[in-house]
Amino acid sequence: MELKEKIRENLKTVYDPELNINVVDLGLIYDIEVPEPRTAKVIMTLTTPGCPLHDSIASGIKYCVLGMEEIDHADIQLTWEPAWTPDRMTEEGKKQLQGF
Amino acid sequence: MISMIQPTKGNETNIKLPFSFIAFSMIALILSQLLILLNGDLLITGTFRLPAIWSAAHLFVLGWALMVAMGAMYQLVPVAFLTPIWNERFGFWQFALTSIGIASFAATLYINPQDALIPGLLTLAGILMFLFQMFMTLRSQAKPNILTLFVGTALFSLLLTIVLGITLVLSMNTGFASAYYHAVFKTHILLGTAGWFSLLIFGFSYKMVPMFSLAHGYSMKPANYVFTVYFIGIIQLVFSFITKIQLLEIIGTFFLSAGFMVFAWHVKKIIDKRVKKKLDRPFMFALLAIGFGAVIHLAAFAGSLADRLPVIIGPLLISYLIAWIAFSIIGYLYKIVPFLWWTHKYSKEIGKQKVPSLKDMMDEKLALPLFTLFIAGTLFLLLSFSVKLLPVFYLGQGLNVVGAVLFSYIIAKVVIK
Repeated sequence: MELKEKIRENLKTVYDPELNINVVDLGLIYDIEVPEPRTAKVIMTLTTPGCPLHDSIASGIKYCVLGMEEIDHADIQLTWEPAWTPDRMTEEGKKQLQGF
Repeated sequence: MISMIQPTKGNETNIKLPFSFIAFSMIALILSQLLILLNGDLLITGTFRLPAIWSAAHLFVLGWALMVAMGAMYQLVPVAFLTPIWNERFGFWQFALTSIGIASFAATLYINPQDALIPGLLTLAGILMFLFQMFMTLRSQAKPNILTLFVGTALFSLLLTIVLGITLVLSMNTGFASAYYHAVFKTHILLGTAGWFSLLIFGFSYKMVPMFSLAHGYSMKPANYVFTVYFIGIIQLVFSFITKIQLLEIIGTFFLSAGFMVFAWHVKKIIDKRVKKKLDRPFMFALLAIGFGAVIHLAAFAGSLADRLPVIIGPLLISYLIAWIAFSIIGYLYKIVPFLWWTHKYSKEIGKQKVPSLKDMMDEKLALPLFTLFIAGTLFLLLSFSVKLLPVFYLGQGLNVVGAVLFSYIIAKVVIK
């Protein structure tokens, strides 16, 4: 599996504690890059600016990526543009939210 | 184009600060409800302006609702306005002074109201420290918005409420401004309820309703109308208190009701745009409080129109404080407390190991019995005022006391977990 895909799969273990849906299925992960060996860059958003879980989710993503044996450095960048919309959720995410 | 910012660090407040306020508030809630229970024989006859009732009312409004609001704001302002609290150490001193002030103020109101000036000034100093803290925090906000206007005006109303409260105590002791005593008293009540609590709840509801329902694609324009219309209502009513012109009172209550109805309609519009179909019970309870608030505001307008406002104002104020303000606070607190504790316990663990969801932190099974207790208690309490039967009062207020104890237990359980 390509490293970027592996990182994405790993991020499925990080959950938004309010919605109880992982950050990948929630559509919070905009991009994953590996600019140099053992370094990951994750561009992410949150469902709303001023989300009280702002710091927790961002650091959760960082801990998760750093927990991988292939990665030594993680750069987590938070962006509000383009803004998150429900369309960014995966089918799995939407299904979970409807049942939640 | 993608613009990037680094995750901000340090916006979260030291958990001990909001929890100090919340712990104090729970004790004040139980004591205030017990005091009301013990003075049923006076309340049932429509006698509200007595030392024991003043004490209970201030313990409830200042000791519980204000302390909860301050504790919640220490946590909500940094996250909602994306700016850290100006000075946390100052916050702890503010807590110490305010809690001593409120406890001694409620005690002297009960024992000897003439001695309430010094405790009142202590309370004033504590609240002024809070207002200063919020002013310093909010001024560093990058982009003020409509929420800033709601919360800023609410904070200013709180300041005026306290200044008018001190004026009342001075007036009682020295006869100062005695010709305006009633106008000052009514303005004190209006600014403390509609000016401070309602505007604050409006402001934070605009943040929390979309967040808890995951609503997207709604317009925030009606919030401007809500603020303008409601604010005009408050000003009109203050003028009616000073001039004693009945027509101004009718116009004032009309604007307050209209503003509240626009708010209720706007919240419904936001909820309609939600992605999360199934809403939590505590959040639904906070939404239900908006429904109660709308009915209470309309009743005030109808009462004013029929020139019966002075007759119904007592039960109306009790309904306002319980069914609108307290129910909103309880509903939101049910969500805020687990978040606070979760952040404290698990924000460093997320991403490293499996952590519980916020839903797991609070016993939601107890939500329905709790809300049923409070709703039934309030209904019986209001019924007792119209049928003037003491057993009905004891039943209603007894349920409220049990509700207060149960709520404190639910909150304490989160922390013990």
